[in-house]
Amino acid sequence: MEKLKKFFQELFIPHEKNNYKGKALQLDFLTLYLIFAFFISIFFKKYNINILGFATDITINKLFELTNKERQKYHLPSLNYNEKLAQAAYLKAQDMFNKNYWAHFAPDGTTPWEFILKSGYNYEYAGENLAKNFLFSDDVIAAWMRSPTHKKNILKEEYTDVGFAVVNGILNGEETTLVVQMFGKPSSSSIVANTNNNQENLLNQKILNEEKRPIVLAETAKKNNNYSNIIFNTNFVFFVFLLIALMIDIYFIAKLEIVRISGKTLAHFIFILFIIISFIIISKGSII
Amino acid sequence: MEKLKKYLKNEFKKKGFDYLILLTGGIFFLVAINYFKGERFLEFIIILAFSCFYIFWGFYHHAINDSIYIKNVVEYILIAFIVLFLIKLILIP
Repeated sequence: MEKLKKFFQELFIPHEKNNYKGKALQLDFLTLYLIFAFFISIFFKKYNINILGFATDITINKLFELTNKERQKYHLPSLNYNEKLAQAAYLKAQDMFNKNYWAHFAPDGTTPWEFILKSGYNYEYAGENLAKNFLFSDDVIAAWMRSPTHKKNILKEEYTDVGFAVVNGILNGEETTLVVQMFGKPSSSSIVANTNNNQENLLNQKILNEEKRPIVLAETAKKNNNYSNIIFNTNFVFFVFLLIALMIDIYFIAKLEIVRISGKTLAHFIFILFIIISFIIISKGSII
Repeated sequence: MEKLKKYLKNEFKKKGFDYLILLTGGIFFLVAINYFKGERFLEFIIILAFSCFYIFWGFYHHAINDSIYIKNVVEYILIAFIVLFLIKLILIP
């Protein structure tokens, strides 16, 4: 116990033996952090483990669950997961990657509704929400709920079905994760047609309820999800560790009235704090 | 705690202008990050710019206070580059 106490004192508390600066903030330790950061970036590049582009922690299950949760808050009926709308969402995402655009309407004039019809879903009402480069499912839904137009889509009474696609690709030269949410209400004629296949639909519905995820993507995302979480959390923990070390240093500089030749701990603290805030903003992607 | 308050008060009073520059830079940085949210490359460029700004700020701050030493400058460079490397890992794989 005594040894542990001594170790922490040496690491964080400025005193005579560590030249009035905690080891955690000394130049040799800072160099070690830099070498460590350099090596993990090499490691992840070598094994082609991409953090944002191909491994965000966004899952169809969670998006579906959160969308219905938001509807329940407003006493609206839950939406059913629809494979055709999921297919339409996937086609839309692929189209954005292929034609390199980030909008509801393609540069060649293709509308979102064309993808819905192409997937075989005849709609009476339809809607689309888009998001890109988010890290977590919760943030996607929260961002949509903060935007009046997206919120309107999520809470539209007329919709009965929803489909999602979370697709990775290159957009404007950047590895991007796109989230497409398609809403719909089948037209009465397709309802008639659907009733003929009621048995089959029920079976499909059951399968989808068990595993609501897009047709493609899932494998890549699943494989890299853990790595993405590890890296994101490691970085976050490291910044918090640095912040705590700086806070302790500031406290003891003030308490012991230490005057030393060194960088300004208070300035480092402010800098890291800004970086942590930006970290939180970055994890929140963009929506249209 | 009293001593900490006194230290912070003293620090902001004596070098208020320097900290004002740093905080202004930080606020501009956050506004820019928020504006270009979702554009990974631009986000990285903004963080790179803020890191460079921080190194220059350290240089300026110590130069003005007659406390500029290689050791101090290296410390600012190390802090800025650690941040840059870790953020790059997340933004640009």
